[in-house]
Amino acid sequence: MTQPLLSISNIDKHFGTLKAVDNVSLDIRENEFFALLGASGSGKTTLLRMLAGFEVPTGGAIYLDGKDVSAIPPNRRPVNLMFQSYALFPHMTVAQNIAYGLEMERLPRREIAARVEEMLGVIQLSQLAGRKPDQLSGGQRQRVALARALVKRPRLLLLDEPLGALDKKLRGEMQLELKRIQHEFGITFVVVTHDQEEALVMADRIAILRDGRLLQCGSPREIYETPQSRFAADFIGVMNFLPARVGGGVLLAQTGVPIAADLPEGLAEGAEAVAAVRPERLHLGQSGADNSLTGTIGAMAYHGLDLQLHLTTPLSPQPVMVRLTADAAEGRPLSIGDEVTVGWSARDTRVFPA
Amino acid sequence: MTDRKPLYLMSPALAWLTGFMVIPCLLVLALAFFRRGIYGGIEYTFTLENIALVFDPLYARIFLKSAGIAGLAAVLAVILGYAAAYAIAAMPRRRQPMLLFFAVLPFWSNYLVRTYAWIVLLNREGLIAAVAHGLGYDGELPKLLYTESAVVVGLVYNYLPFVILACYAPLSRLNPEMSEASRDLGASGWTTFRRVVLPVTVPGIATGFVFVFVLSIGNFVTPALLGGGQFQMIGNLVYAQFLTANDWPFGAALSMVLIAIMMGLLTLQTFATERASGARRQET
Ligand SMILES: Nc1ncnc2c1ncn2[C@@H]1O[C@H](COP(=O)(O)OP(=O)(O)OP(=O)(O)O)[C@@H](O)[C@H]1O
Ligand SMILES: [Mg+2]
Repeated sequence: MTQPLLSISNIDKHFGTLKAVDNVSLDIRENEFFALLGASGSGKTTLLRMLAGFEVPTGGAIYLDGKDVSAIPPNRRPVNLMFQSYALFPHMTVAQNIAYGLEMERLPRREIAARVEEMLGVIQLSQLAGRKPDQLSGGQRQRVALARALVKRPRLLLLDEPLGALDKKLRGEMQLELKRIQHEFGITFVVVTHDQEEALVMADRIAILRDGRLLQCGSPREIYETPQSRFAADFIGVMNFLPARVGGGVLLAQTGVPIAADLPEGLAEGAEAVAAVRPERLHLGQSGADNSLTGTIGAMAYHGLDLQLHLTTPLSPQPVMVRLTADAAEGRPLSIGDEVTVGWSARDTRVFPA
Repeated sequence: MTDRKPLYLMSPALAWLTGFMVIPCLLVLALAFFRRGIYGGIEYTFTLENIALVFDPLYARIFLKSAGIAGLAAVLAVILGYAAAYAIAAMPRRRQPMLLFFAVLPFWSNYLVRTYAWIVLLNREGLIAAVAHGLGYDGELPKLLYTESAVVVGLVYNYLPFVILACYAPLSRLNPEMSEASRDLGASGWTTFRRVVLPVTVPGIATGFVFVFVLSIGNFVTPALLGGGQFQMIGNLVYAQFLTANDWPFGAALSMVLIAIMMGLLTLQTFATERASGARRQET
């Protein structure tokens, strides 16, 4: 296997008694679009700041291209950070902001001008090169911050909530734009976000952080299909949790009916557990299904491509969400109050300790 | 339509200023255009002689000297005050108010008391001399009190708290991530200071500088007490015209030029502040 671009090895950061980052190890490959996903306060920014060189790890080490960079100051690391606050220089124009990092490299004037020009084109702000940051919209500022970091062509670009300050529509556009730019420049991106949907859309791989610890790392598909913990299952996408208990070597639902599923190791007889299944894995009827449940439709929502049902069932205190494709719903008129049976396979059921 | 409310709210202050400041000042300044009576007093015939006299080398030299002293005091105060403000702003947030309070504390005591304190310090038998002798220095100490340097020291000391406050305001508002961004982009600590921190905090520096300069150039207490009798700044000259020489028209003429200089500087400072804050938005 080739050497990873960035290797984070058992890294810790403690602030007094608080473990902001707790024994995290990660390998990030060249050209990867990597997302750090976690709730507010989970240590995402702290981890990023250690990679950029603004915080010295309490323990562990960071290797870039195989070399330990833990003690190298930020201005000597081939790593750039796009700040959560953008931190643009208010007294400089857009072009001057972008040129700043190149001037620090003492590049010839002509080269600086050419690269700034090119960058302005990439972020589509050539018209506004002479504006000061406070004469720009939030979305424009975000682009300048990106350009300012990107123009240095770092080995690794760190982005702290790059789309956090944008409205929903712009976010959607910028997610694709960021991916395009990353691909075009061939630079490794590490993006921090607390938005799981954003991570799923953009990233090649995702690491989930919780209270400073790494919960799971994998491709969006792996994380979505095979979450390793109840927290991850809940955090990513929508998930139904059915309370259950281990009895006689099988999983029993609240009502005592067995649920067919692979039991993970370490669940003892009598232990409390939950069976988790995604809404889109439930289908109408029970033909060919390993499991089934019957419930009353409490609410319905039509989303164009699909139809969502909330089923009230004795199997779960919360309504069970069902997502049917429009085709599947076609043959059968459904209305609120109807009783329906849905089935799902054992393969699509994940079991976690309660 | 512009909102008129601010105008109503401002009017009492405006009326006060106009009635008790602007009008009396204008009345006094108007005297500059009249002749001085032979036995003092004023002879109401129009003349430009007083204004012309201000530019006489004798008086122009005092103006220049005053400007030099005020400029030196302002530069020193800005350097010391900026450094102090920078240090305070770098402290943990919750300790900053207390540090500021101590920095500004002398400001609340009486101006004269503060200035007399310097006489006690600089005097031939004063504290500094005593310390020097106590340390075993027997030789003749250079004259400290009643010198130009003593005046500069006194002015710097008196106005330093204001400079600290003026510089602290923009420094404390500075987003620390801005300095970090500069470091991240490859700048050293010094370059970061020179290219990011300093330019962004220029308004504070300009305010501090102009404040010290304007108050120093017209000051007559400090030069009178610390500069000794032989030493005259423009403020002393004005004072003397009104109170001893009894030449009100010439005093008014001197004041007028002084005020013109101050106004010019204040305008420049406002301009500099606006420029730095990028307040002049382009309409698009
Ligand atoms: N300089 C510091 N001193 C003390 N505690 C800190 C410091 N920086 C961060 N923390 C704490 O470390 C924890 C992680 O903070 P961090 O900023 O890394 O979270 P985050 O995941 O980036 O959150 P958000 O999504 O809100 O930006 C928080 O509890 C925070 O209060
Ligand atoms: Mg953060």
